[in-house]
Amino acid sequence: MSARVRSAPGVRPGAGSTFRWSVLVVLGVWALAPLVLLVVVSASGGWRFPSLLGADPGLGAWRAVGAASGSLWAALGTSTLVGVGTGVAAAALGLPLGRALSNLRGAWRIVGAGCAFMPVAAPPLALGVGLQYSFLRMDLGGGVAGVILAHLIPALGYTSLFFLGVFAVFDREIESEARRLGADAWQVLTRVTLPLLRRPLAEAFVLGFLVSWAQVPLTLLVGQGQVRTLTVQVLSWVQAGQDPLAAAGAVLLVVPPLLLMGGASLAFQRAQVVAP
Amino acid sequence: MTRPSEKSFGIAAALVLAAPVVVGTGYATAAALGLAGAGATGQASLDRAVAVLTDPVVWGGTLWILWVAAASTVLSAAIAIAIAVTFRGAGRLDALGRTLAVLPLPVPHLVAAVGGLLVLGQSGLIARVAFHLGFIDGPAAMPALVYDPAGIGLVLALTWKEVPFLTLVAVSVLATRGDALERTARGLGAGRRDVFWRVTWPVLWRGLMPAAVAVFTFVAGSYEAAVILAPSDPLALPVLTWERFVDAGLGQRADAYVLALLGFGIALAAVAVHEWVRARIGLLDGGSA
Amino acid sequence: MSALVVDALDVPFGDAAGLTDVSFRVRSGERLVVVGASGAGKTSLLGALAGFVSPSGGRIEMDGHDVASRPPERRPCVLLTQTPLLFPHLTVFENVAFPLRVRRVVGRDVRARVDAALAAVRLESFGDRRPATLSGGQARRVALARAMVSRPKILLLDEPLAALDPSLRESMRRMILQMHADYRPALVMVTHDLAEAGRVADRIGVLVGGGLEQIGTPEEVFRRPATLQVARFIGLRNELVGEVRSGTQLVVGEVRLSLPGCRSPRPETGMGEGPRDRLPVSLVFGVQGARLVPDGCPASYPVDRIPARVESVLHAPEGTTARLTTDHGPVEVRVDTAEVPAAGTAVQLQIRLDEAHVFERSSGSRFGARPGLDGGGLHRA
Repeated sequence: MSARVRSAPGVRPGAGSTFRWSVLVVLGVWALAPLVLLVVVSASGGWRFPSLLGADPGLGAWRAVGAASGSLWAALGTSTLVGVGTGVAAAALGLPLGRALSNLRGAWRIVGAGCAFMPVAAPPLALGVGLQYSFLRMDLGGGVAGVILAHLIPALGYTSLFFLGVFAVFDREIESEARRLGADAWQVLTRVTLPLLRRPLAEAFVLGFLVSWAQVPLTLLVGQGQVRTLTVQVLSWVQAGQDPLAAAGAVLLVVPPLLLMGGASLAFQRAQVVAP
Repeated sequence: MTRPSEKSFGIAAALVLAAPVVVGTGYATAAALGLAGAGATGQASLDRAVAVLTDPVVWGGTLWILWVAAASTVLSAAIAIAIAVTFRGAGRLDALGRTLAVLPLPVPHLVAAVGGLLVLGQSGLIARVAFHLGFIDGPAAMPALVYDPAGIGLVLALTWKEVPFLTLVAVSVLATRGDALERTARGLGAGRRDVFWRVTWPVLWRGLMPAAVAVFTFVAGSYEAAVILAPSDPLALPVLTWERFVDAGLGQRADAYVLALLGFGIALAAVAVHEWVRARIGLLDGGSA
Repeated sequence: MSALVVDALDVPFGDAAGLTDVSFRVRSGERLVVVGASGAGKTSLLGALAGFVSPSGGRIEMDGHDVASRPPERRPCVLLTQTPLLFPHLTVFENVAFPLRVRRVVGRDVRARVDAALAAVRLESFGDRRPATLSGGQARRVALARAMVSRPKILLLDEPLAALDPSLRESMRRMILQMHADYRPALVMVTHDLAEAGRVADRIGVLVGGGLEQIGTPEEVFRRPATLQVARFIGLRNELVGEVRSGTQLVVGEVRLSLPGCRSPRPETGMGEGPRDRLPVSLVFGVQGARLVPDGCPASYPVDRIPARVESVLHAPEGTTARLTTDHGPVEVRVDTAEVPAAGTAVQLQIRLDEAHVFERSSGSRFGARPGLDGGGLHRA
């Protein structure tokens, strides 16, 4: 029924609005306090008990953090390189893999999806322990390429499952229609399939990037401590008790994913307004 | 119709995706049996595996991480359901509530753990506020919420991290299934309480079940949050696995392969339980007339 | 007493079609079918009755109580939606039992009533099945059993037979009628399908643009449409513009026809006719409402034939028709299969006034009908 709804069941208009505002405030504190605190501590110039804002709060503290640790910026660069590499590869390979999986029917479909689910469900630490020897044998230990390849294992699982879902509802008739209108296989791919899948491709990139960006054990085990991504760096600062540095690194770990998610959803909202 | 080549592509894709896990578990199995790795004897033996799995430290750490995973999964699912039900409407307040709840979604687990340490630690934000309000007179008086044997700090940090994902799923379950089913129920004469307990709640938990299992699996195997917030006794299974693996002693290192297999086993068991529940009670597949 | 009284109901037009001043009554055991094109407000009507759509004015009385301010669950009605949803987490048995459970029916009664309802839709052995394992038609039957199991005083059905293949539709219709006959609730069904309405209804209401144009027996609605809108909706596709002079004579171009039940016309003098005597009207008729006469046949007086030319001939299962062009617009009429005219032939069109309808152009209402009484009374009883 598409007619005007009196109200969503269970929610009386007006009633309980004070309650909902209170919940909203609690939710806001819960969701934002830890993130705000990271910013405060990173700019505290030393966060010693019992001071709330730190010894020397301000932008100067940030500059000091940056100057004291060139490794922060180096780590940001490494994480970005590994994350973008993983994201691009996961999107580019996830598409054909997901599509191939979607060709399976019946019991084979369940087996296929189960296989794609294995690298997602496997704990990265256990995976890293089991695979470290193989990576070292292939001379992939201690380098960015090896780390990207290691991150690609879970990332590809995610993007393949994602594209399996996309192709489950993708109408392939549109490709046949293009073929009937005279397009060759390459033209179908570049003029029909890929343009139609622009949004899923971008989402798969974000997915792959985030898997890599947050990864710790695979980086440690395959990178052999020589590939120092931001997460690895933050972990070692936390363990060394360097709170402001760790907090600054944590802030840098939060900002790009938030921008990426926000930017992606904004761009597509706009695209949907333009699209017929 | 599926052409033979399409089927073989599909099977090839499945093999490509499964290969790293198969190789990893295969090597770990060989190493655990003493067939591979530094301490390999060339003679298959279950002795090491039995020794590791009967070690109280190991099963203590295993039970502990299972408790943490279960507690944070249940807690975050409960919060997610409460948020989804409270902010499910079309109003601006609803949109704001959902946005706030989902905001930490892309935050890495490591950052959630660092935030947890800074908020909950004995010299953390809560301790400082309590000090300024005169509730405690120093960090030592602050109840231990991190490195504590009960794992409260770790559970809270992981809950904070997992609420956004589960909220997203709960909101989408309500939007795609809940609204229409609730209208149907009301049209059949169900009041608000009946609608919630007979339709909304059963649909929500069934819809949330796969996501909750994913959260449980992820948390139980996650290293970076545990290493920051977990106590040294009992030593959480992922941290124990790591410590044994990087230990200089070759025997300790071989133990790590058994522990890694234990980690795989937990993930496998969680998925198996989920499949059993699905087969047993049926989750939400189909149902529209 | 009427089980359902709807009085001057208004529903604001918004995202969905609204309603304006809709009034009708339905007795217990009576079947009212409301027909209308999409966007006419059918679903809004059922939504307002069931309590999902807030009216902006008017009264809804069910079983003697004003229910306008009651939520859906506190109205003595059940709504079967157009695409009914089964609860995916409940078995077929529990789906059907749902209305009983929320009405706090307990014990053996539940099993007996659910079994009876499932038997009525011939799904006795399906109680333990999950909705996901049902075919589309089976799921619709479960939804029907579920809607009727609590024996609501008023049953609201939204296009219950739409999107079913013909054999399924036939059996579903029989089940609805059988279950209705079993305990005789007041039934309000909406559909866009006139044939369906004719098969199910005691009375038919015609909804056009949010207003109830006519309500009456199927015979009344189909044989004596109350307004031009109803005539168009029931598929009378020929419409010629003319005027009625002196209240007795219908003039379409050169054609003069005397209206039935009026004094016989006198020869046209052109005198004594003021503008008040000329009433603009539409002459509406179906494909049966006129016949073809070969050109050249002498016309009687007064002239009752319209010159026409055959444009094309259409063959269909229910008969052959000819499309004609006339000076007053296109016309389509049934032709005898033995005498199918060739395209391009000049013919004459003879209107059968007993099969045709005359509507005033200003109001759209039936010419000669006294307002409010012609087949449009609120209630037959």
